[in-house]
Amino acid sequence: MSDIFPKWTNWLPLKIAIGAVLVGTAATAGSWYYLTPKYSNVGYQPVQPVAFSHAIHAGQLGMDCRYCHSAVEKSWYSNIPTASTCMNCHNQVLKDDPKLALVRESAATGKPIPWVQIHKVPDYVYFNHSVHVNRGVSCVECHGRIDKMDEVRQVQPLSMTFCLDCHRHPENHLRPPDKITDLGWQVDPKTQKQNGEKFKHDWKVQSSQNCSACHR
Amino acid sequence: MKTIPPPCPEPDNGVKYFRSLEQLSDTPEFQDWASREFPAGASELKDETTRRHFVKIMSASFALAGLGILGAGCRRPEEKIYPFARQPEGYVHGVPQYFATSMPVRGLAVPLLVKSDDGRPTKIEGNATHPDSNGGTDTFAQASVLSLYDADRAQRFTQKGTNANREAAFDFLSGVAKQFSANQGDGLCFLMERSPSPSRARVQGLIKQKFPKARWFIYEPVDFDVQREAATLAAGKPVAPYFKPDAAKVILSLDCDFIGGEEDSHRMIRGFAKGRKISKPGDTMNRLYVVETLMSQTGMNADHRLRVATSQVIAIAAAIAAKISPLLAGLAAKFPLPAGVKPEWIAECAKDLQANPGASLVLAGYRQPLAVHLLANALNGALQNNGKTVEFQEAASSEGSLAQLAELLNGGQVDTLVVLGGNPVYNAPVDLDWAKSQRKAKTVVRLAYYEDETFAACDWHLPAAHYLESWGDARTSDGTLVPVQPLIEPLFGGLTEIEVLARIGGLDATKPHDIARETFKAIAGTDLFEEKWKKFLHDGFLAGSAAKPVEVGAGTNLAALAAATAVEAPSKDKLEVVFTRDYSVDDGRYHNNGWLQELPDPITKMTWDNAVLVSRKTAGELGLKNNQTIKINVGGRSIEAPVWVQPGLADYTLALPLGYGRERSGRIGNFKGGSVGFNAYPLRTSTAMHFASGAKVSVTGATHQFSCTQDHWSMEGRPIIREANLAQFNAHPKFAKNMDMDATANDAFIPKNPDGTPHNIYKHPYESNPALKSQTHQWGMSVDLNSCVGCSACMVACQSENNIPIVGKEQVGKGREMHWIRIDRYYTGLAELEKDKNPLVADDQQQFEKWIDDPQVVTQPMMCQHCESAPCESVCPVNATVHDEEGLNVMAYNRCVGTRYCSNNCAWKVRRFNFFDYNKRPLENLYAGPMATRKNDEWELLKLVKNPDVTVRMRGVMEKCSFCLQRIEQAKISQKVKAGASGDVEVPDGTIKTACQQACPAEAIVFGNILDKKSRVSQLKEQSRDYAVLGFLDTRPRLTYLARVRNPNPAMPDYRELPNSLDEYINKAKNMDPLVEPPKPGAANGKKKGAH
Repeated sequence: MSDIFPKWTNWLPLKIAIGAVLVGTAATAGSWYYLTPKYSNVGYQPVQPVAFSHAIHAGQLGMDCRYCHSAVEKSWYSNIPTASTCMNCHNQVLKDDPKLALVRESAATGKPIPWVQIHKVPDYVYFNHSVHVNRGVSCVECHGRIDKMDEVRQVQPLSMTFCLDCHRHPENHLRPPDKITDLGWQVDPKTQKQNGEKFKHDWKVQSSQNCSACHR
Repeated sequence: MKTIPPPCPEPDNGVKYFRSLEQLSDTPEFQDWASREFPAGASELKDETTRRHFVKIMSASFALAGLGILGAGCRRPEEKIYPFARQPEGYVHGVPQYFATSMPVRGLAVPLLVKSDDGRPTKIEGNATHPDSNGGTDTFAQASVLSLYDADRAQRFTQKGTNANREAAFDFLSGVAKQFSANQGDGLCFLMERSPSPSRARVQGLIKQKFPKARWFIYEPVDFDVQREAATLAAGKPVAPYFKPDAAKVILSLDCDFIGGEEDSHRMIRGFAKGRKISKPGDTMNRLYVVETLMSQTGMNADHRLRVATSQVIAIAAAIAAKISPLLAGLAAKFPLPAGVKPEWIAECAKDLQANPGASLVLAGYRQPLAVHLLANALNGALQNNGKTVEFQEAASSEGSLAQLAELLNGGQVDTLVVLGGNPVYNAPVDLDWAKSQRKAKTVVRLAYYEDETFAACDWHLPAAHYLESWGDARTSDGTLVPVQPLIEPLFGGLTEIEVLARIGGLDATKPHDIARETFKAIAGTDLFEEKWKKFLHDGFLAGSAAKPVEVGAGTNLAALAAATAVEAPSKDKLEVVFTRDYSVDDGRYHNNGWLQELPDPITKMTWDNAVLVSRKTAGELGLKNNQTIKINVGGRSIEAPVWVQPGLADYTLALPLGYGRERSGRIGNFKGGSVGFNAYPLRTSTAMHFASGAKVSVTGATHQFSCTQDHWSMEGRPIIREANLAQFNAHPKFAKNMDMDATANDAFIPKNPDGTPHNIYKHPYESNPALKSQTHQWGMSVDLNSCVGCSACMVACQSENNIPIVGKEQVGKGREMHWIRIDRYYTGLAELEKDKNPLVADDQQQFEKWIDDPQVVTQPMMCQHCESAPCESVCPVNATVHDEEGLNVMAYNRCVGTRYCSNNCAWKVRRFNFFDYNKRPLENLYAGPMATRKNDEWELLKLVKNPDVTVRMRGVMEKCSFCLQRIEQAKISQKVKAGASGDVEVPDGTIKTACQQACPAEAIVFGNILDKKSRVSQLKEQSRDYAVLGFLDTRPRLTYLARVRNPNPAMPDYRELPNSLDEYINKAKNMDPLVEPPKPGAANGKKKGAH
């Protein structure tokens, strides 16, 4: 019988096998790196309709986070401030500045400003701000140094791993409740661990690692 | 030459790309370029180099655009947050608000506390602070929130069927006011529904002053006004009764389904269940005697039940009355006892009533003629119950009847007819020919919630506001004033009844808010009015406004009684037809409510349908079988309807549930263009509104499929629901633990731990790893089967709270209903009739078996048992269902891949699988999958009823009762936030109420922390009646039941020493008699059935 297949096809199975392994590894490694929240979410910095700078307001002026995000201690949801909150100062400060045109329009007409959401967990996750903010978890743990950002960007992946890392060892991230909004507050790791353990004990912090804590 | 490339479209988000420095700087030259259709020099692209350069750049731009998809475009879609411009006072997004209101229904109201999320009502709860409420509700109140978001609601004003605008409608109403001001209302007629509203009564009074010649009529297809009528006749003054079953030790119900079909059932259930609760031997229970035709919810809970045809109940009543009151002795002779009724039944029942003077209660049902009600009144008087178990309140008399209005219409005397609510074209008595009669009025104005059957016979049609959108007021049955407070602006510009009345009357105040305030001022007084009004709206009732009881003598109206005549008992050739109020759709008003249509009927467990119910004997004699369609002929009129054999129904009676077969109700009621169920109204005449004699049936040859959620009627002797009589409970309080394979008498062979629990060779993770078990909370639940009456309010409450979808009739037929909690209902028969029963017989043979004639009925709410060693958890291949530290069996929906192994392994079959995306896909076309979407208007509205605290599940995911995990978490979070540094993170007992617990009027379900020994649930679990269903599997369910105890009267002729199910069990499980004391260790093994 004459040769049906040319000689080079002898190496084909081996080449296919090696190729499949390589492609598989690349796909896995690629997905592992590129398709996880750590890559896809961290650094997200969308353009907002109003060029609000946290660096000026929270950093330079030293405003407390909760002045604007007033519901964070009462609700699961930390609210974007209403236009009337902005107008508390801006009806006098920079009151004709074109950068605040949308804010003035919103306060006057009731039309909401379409802010772009940056920090978002999936719909099947029920995160509650109030229980964290009231129990020693600072804003900086999840949101980073907002007080140094001109435009807010996401600094933590907010993936389940990220949440579990803290829930497994809350003593590494707990701080005195009056220092929650002091984003620059820091203490050396040994003292942090010590104080954190004491806090965890005194306050009976039970950071649940079970599914029922967040998935309903 | 260098060409300047045209700009590519800029992305809205992400990094802005620019193609050239010119574009970035946006110079005039560039703008010039950008505005031209072709870049300058395009006409010069004959030169090869230029063209290739141009194409290269163009393709580069496409490539960059493509990269844009991969790079910045790979992100999740941009989502916006829209804050308020000005925050509403007291509102925080994410924290629900609660408003007190009430649901007016016929002559009464249910006091409610409604949860509002983001300014829209999402969940209905009872108002526990109301003096006459424990926070329980009924199925209709729970489902009413879905009606608010019904896409088939009337959404427009119409004139002669075409759209009109609101101003034109208001102009017309003022025109009516002007027209009749001239002639004092002559020719103006009002047809209304019954209402508990003092505001409506006040406005009506004002209009009566202005238009004294206007006529008023009230029509309710199912009307309970006969109670007031009889009480007024008997007392000689205008009164209505107020029953207090909690004060009664013996209750006699004369065809009165006070637990289900009569009004105020949630309050009557509460009172009745209070008398059923026992905790230790020696406690007393009330006793319920029921004389009825249908198997009703009250009959399900009876200690003694007598089934007689509706027309013959008067004979029973007269016989009992003769025994008790000498005045009425002569009456019994007129009404011979029906065949098969033992005189001893009457005698002993009467004796029991007499043995409890002032602590008994006789109730007559709304279907019974006036005479029976007068007898009930007389009996209550003779038994000294007046003022104790039944109180009387002042009651205004009713208005004219529909028949009188029909006369006026046919006589051409009606100029303008105002119809407020109701649906008379559909449900008026057929002999009035209402569709034609109503049209005889010159002008017909109607205010209604749907554009239904009556719509075509109207000129002006105004959309009605739902009670959740309305201002108003009402009175609960004890007379307390309650507000009707809106939680949302009318979604479609609907009007309230009092507003329409006020406009027609030409009154000054037309806004319902103002009218309600004026009424409140008249009742509560003017000083400190604003404070009182605010408190009234906050509390949901006006303190001290309950009606003062009126003294009523013990006599009765003998003259009215003497007018009653006996009716011939029904027979095979002259059947009796009974029109019943349906447990799902009421009189037809909820026909388009998906939750209620899919709610299994508490007795038949039928969904999406009604059936003609017949007894086994009658079906046998007439040659009828389940699913056959028959033609029923009454008085020359006929309808066709499918048959269902109902255990416990009286013989020669056909029960026809009203409210179905509607032609214009909406997309649920007219599913796939048809109509759910059959219409029984065409047989109903004004002289025979509740039952009619002389009916004949014939088989048509057609068949009809039903979708029942529970097909098998018998427990087959299995101790799933355990019960005993009071005597046995007193003698053997731990009988419930002594049943089944884990009976205490039989478990000598099971190795035990030191604390007595069975020793497992596998160490439970809670023991091998203590960190996995919370020391603060361990959740458990106890369901008291003595209190549960099977009303199914918990089912609708769970559906509302947990975003449970409906699936449609076809899917229910496949067993795919999504209810997380179900009420299992079993019929149990006499042992001697059952002894030849073949347990392997098919379900469709049950209808022919003799034991179903006079069964006892047992009910049990069944939801996830939250087993400590859950069989579902160990088999999930993706670990989607896990056990949390507080004892809950938790479901992570996003992890579930839909193997359904967990449901396979669950012995209680409480897990529900989403076979389709029931939320997003249209129910009539589920199999088209993603190719089909719902109509947009209904989806937008249905989204609003969802609870934002609970995930809405998709296709392919398993779900089950979560013990209202969202409520548990919210309570824990609130407690932690409140605790601060104190470390007091334990949630106090009673803070968390699961949805089923909160809705239950009988308080049968109790949830709480079993680590806390003082919590109510711990105390209930300590009771001797406590047992676990299928406990022998040793899964340690956290949900345990308290066995049922019946209280029969040993002197009664139908007294059985054991309840049927216990008899069945002992007969089947020959060596496991729970009433025999366990042998001492070392005693001989062979046990005989000992005397007990």
